[in-house]
Amino acid sequence: MREWWKSGSPWIWLNGGAVTISMVMVFGLIALILVRGFGAFWPHPVFETTYELPGTEPVVVVGELRRSETLTGAAMRDAGVPIPEDQLIVTRHLVKLGNRDVTGRDFAYFIDDFMDEWRYPKNMAVLERREWGDFYGIPLRLLERGTTVAVGDELWDEFQGRVRRVNDLWDEIRGIERGAIGRINFQLERVRLDERRAQLRGTLTDEMRAEFEQRRQALQEQYRELEQRLNQLYEQLGRDSIVMRAADGSEVTLRVADVVKAWQPNNMSVPAKVWFYVQDFFDFIFGYPREANTEGGIFPAIFGTVVMVLVMSIIVTPFGILAAIYLREYAKQGPLLKTVRISVYNLAGVPSIVFGVFGLGFFVYFMGGAIDRTFYPEALPSPTFGTPGLFWASLTLALLTLPVVIVSTEEGLARIPSTIREGSLALGATKGETLWKVVVPLATPAMMTGLILAIARAAGEVAPLMLVGVVKLAPTLPIDGNFPFIHLERKIMHLGFHIYDVGFQSPHAEAAEQLVYATALILVLLILVLNLSAITIRNHLREKYRAESD
Amino acid sequence: MENKRIGGHYSHRYDAELEEVVNRVLAMGGLVEAQLTNALRAFIDADSQIAQEVTENDTRVNTFEVTIDERCVEILARRQPAAMDLRLIVAVIKTITDLERIGDLATAIARMAMRQAEGDRPRKQIFRDIETMGNRVISMLAGALDAFARMDATAAVDVVRQDFAIDSDHEAIVRQNVTYMMEDPRNISRLLDISHAVRALERVGDHARNMCEYTIYFVKGRDVRHIDLSEMEAIVHDKKTPPEG
Amino acid sequence: MSQTNPAAPAMHASLFEGNARKVRFLSDEEIAITVENLDLFYGESQALKQITMEIPAKRVTAFIGPSGCGKSTLLRCFNRMNDLVDACRIEGAINLHGENIYRRGTDVAELRRRVGMVFQKPNPFPKTIYENVAYGLRLQGVKNKRVLDEVVERSIKAVGLWDEVKDRLQSNAFGLSGGQQQRLVIARAIAIEPEVILLDEPTSALDPISTAKIEELIEELKETYTILIVTHNMQQAARVSDYTAYMYLGELIEYADTMHLFTNPSQKATEDYITGRYG
Repeated sequence: MREWWKSGSPWIWLNGGAVTISMVMVFGLIALILVRGFGAFWPHPVFETTYELPGTEPVVVVGELRRSETLTGAAMRDAGVPIPEDQLIVTRHLVKLGNRDVTGRDFAYFIDDFMDEWRYPKNMAVLERREWGDFYGIPLRLLERGTTVAVGDELWDEFQGRVRRVNDLWDEIRGIERGAIGRINFQLERVRLDERRAQLRGTLTDEMRAEFEQRRQALQEQYRELEQRLNQLYEQLGRDSIVMRAADGSEVTLRVADVVKAWQPNNMSVPAKVWFYVQDFFDFIFGYPREANTEGGIFPAIFGTVVMVLVMSIIVTPFGILAAIYLREYAKQGPLLKTVRISVYNLAGVPSIVFGVFGLGFFVYFMGGAIDRTFYPEALPSPTFGTPGLFWASLTLALLTLPVVIVSTEEGLARIPSTIREGSLALGATKGETLWKVVVPLATPAMMTGLILAIARAAGEVAPLMLVGVVKLAPTLPIDGNFPFIHLERKIMHLGFHIYDVGFQSPHAEAAEQLVYATALILVLLILVLNLSAITIRNHLREKYRAESD
Repeated sequence: MENKRIGGHYSHRYDAELEEVVNRVLAMGGLVEAQLTNALRAFIDADSQIAQEVTENDTRVNTFEVTIDERCVEILARRQPAAMDLRLIVAVIKTITDLERIGDLATAIARMAMRQAEGDRPRKQIFRDIETMGNRVISMLAGALDAFARMDATAAVDVVRQDFAIDSDHEAIVRQNVTYMMEDPRNISRLLDISHAVRALERVGDHARNMCEYTIYFVKGRDVRHIDLSEMEAIVHDKKTPPEG
Repeated sequence: MSQTNPAAPAMHASLFEGNARKVRFLSDEEIAITVENLDLFYGESQALKQITMEIPAKRVTAFIGPSGCGKSTLLRCFNRMNDLVDACRIEGAINLHGENIYRRGTDVAELRRRVGMVFQKPNPFPKTIYENVAYGLRLQGVKNKRVLDEVVERSIKAVGLWDEVKDRLQSNAFGLSGGQQQRLVIARAIAIEPEVILLDEPTSALDPISTAKIEELIEELKETYTILIVTHNMQQAARVSDYTAYMYLGELIEYADTMHLFTNPSQKATEDYITGRYG
């Protein structure tokens, strides 16, 4: 034993154990997110069975199995479920029932012992709707303006064709609403602001007023034309409907216009399921959220996160690098500099919510208010920059990540051998020339390291963002086709906040669970992509400036 | 005193190597001095026994020269001596060449002594003169070796000064010899041998002078060859005094 | 043997003519730099004490001495590299062709263009071989591609590196070996045609072959430039230099013709140092 102790093996086991525990935790977390996240898009089979609790009428249950769990009989008895006294173990299933509008609840637990055999009818269909969640049922008839056009075998293909038509119509409607009408609204607002500005300056003449009125008329004329077109489209949407038999046997008529997509999971081959899966994943990434974010895609959140991180990088990189260069190269070393450096380093340890409060108080209200009074007086009292928005969120994060960039840049600068600087100075270069032509290029890999750390931290940050610019649902993207294309004052959506919102603020927590995992997965992947690209750039730079001795 | 000049290196091995070379030179000098003394005795006493020993001992002198040369080359290659050490090695290399020549001259005298032993002895007077000159030469050689051993430039200059007496001795004996030859032509070959022996003694004096010059070079760092004695004395006494007097 | 004896008769002097080395006397040389009563302080401690010397033009002057003797510090005075050190104070004068480089208003960048420097460790910039050599010219605002090409080629040829690098001028200078890098750095220094080149232990990081090449290069460069070299390697000082200065504890102990200093130094301290004795 003494020998073993002396041999150093315990120390190795201790270190190895620490590494193992870390690895298990990291990979466990990633595996959980991967499995749950990727599982969200798989078309699960839909079963049908009869459920008969003792002492109640039997009911037909249609749905997909979400989760099964085993409990003790006693616990279930306490909960008031009539389980025989001698039964120790009970299995119960969480089943997604859908049909929220019919049954009022779309998830329910069922005790395994009271369930009949599970059947998987081939023609059982799932309809993803624009409202009220999924609908499970068997399609009976397809109606066009109230007249039956298809039943039986040809019904499903015909229905799919009409779902596509409806989706095309929706795309057009959305294109008009978001694009053309958005542009008209934007221009109308600008006309209003121009007029207000002129009014505030006291330069508004009757002539100008007439011109503004004319512009407004022209825009409203355009708007009316579009509105007409929209009305036509909406009218066309209501043409088709489908009659479905729900689980309880009732016949429900659904507008095809409300269906996003429809599939028959029990009737799909594996390749078809894979194809469906891929499409669903694609829709998730590039789609817009629906139903309080619990359905649909997360594109605005991805876009918002990326844009915010990029704007933050653009702010923090030059600031951090310039500050580090000053601290390392120009500042006179002394107690004052030491204090400054300690302050900067400690900034990294301040809780992020404190930055959020600071950002709200200083950036949004103080600076934003000042900017509004100076540059956008015509928009007041509705604030432009005096309200949380992309720019303030990025600026707050930039402040949060500034120490990281400063510290790693400083370290990079400190690592550059003094002989290189001296070599440049000895050739008659000034200090500035030496810095910009020799020292800074050599320190770029370290700067990139700082930026990588900053990105990783910023992309995952949520708490301060809730205060300074991230909202659960932003009406517009921060970048669009309207001048000046990048709208720094707009509010944005963010993946981290999206996870919080969907997972904990949503009315349909169970329905959203899979979405939370999927969103987390996307967030992790996004950070990974951002980091990997930064690391690639850094390695490229390192290779370029590789010293023989390194 | 000599240790102060040779020793004091950070490398004690180096000290020991230089010391060894110097000791070998002194040993070789002692041997050569004995050779010369014996050769002179053999010549004057016409002792072919001693003469025989001298000729046999010459190989020992030659061996000394070769081994000291080897040591010097080794030190040059391995230590790359500078300044005083470099001058010491150069002086040693040159000194042993002169010593070896002296050894050869002693052997030559010994050979002539063997021939002398075979025939009649010429007049005693000439041998007395040769003995006087020979003792002078031997004391000059001893002085040169002593100056080298003590690394004393002043002593070396004093030794150089003795060379003039030897030169005049040589001249006197040669002139006397010529007189004898004219008196009795039958003795010419024998007298020629004596002449050669005296010439050899004179050459020994020159070699001893060279050795003194090397010692001065080593100590003073100045080349004193081919200059007259007054300049040499000026260099030794005025320009710079050795650190240890 | 020693040829330093000024009293050697003329008939013998003729024997030495055409031999490897000629006797040099500082009084016969054209003087490029004079140092007058130079004192240098690092804060409280004095690193150089009353240095006064004359450095001949187009000769190699070596500085030797134990570590911390101030020889590198003195070398760095000639292009005012010590300005970079805080709390470094210099008194006295260094005159480069009669002009005190410590005079108020001296353009230090301009001075460093006239006095090039090569350091102990090869320090090429993280640029291509071409850009390394062109760096000094670019600083001076030379943009003409033809001029740059010409100077780069001439400089690299001057250091004997042309055949080794002519096919990869656009590749990174870090790819060269240590000896090649050091020659490149010398090429970089001579590209701006300085008057003086300071070499601060230029071969201490190199292997013997590279060292021999650099030494050979120094021999060639002294035709054109005044060269000052600091070295720990006494044999190297003896090989490459015409004049040698021995420094100890910030003082200039002895400054003489190299031949003289290495065969017959005047000072006991110098002798002890070059023969490896403790004083």
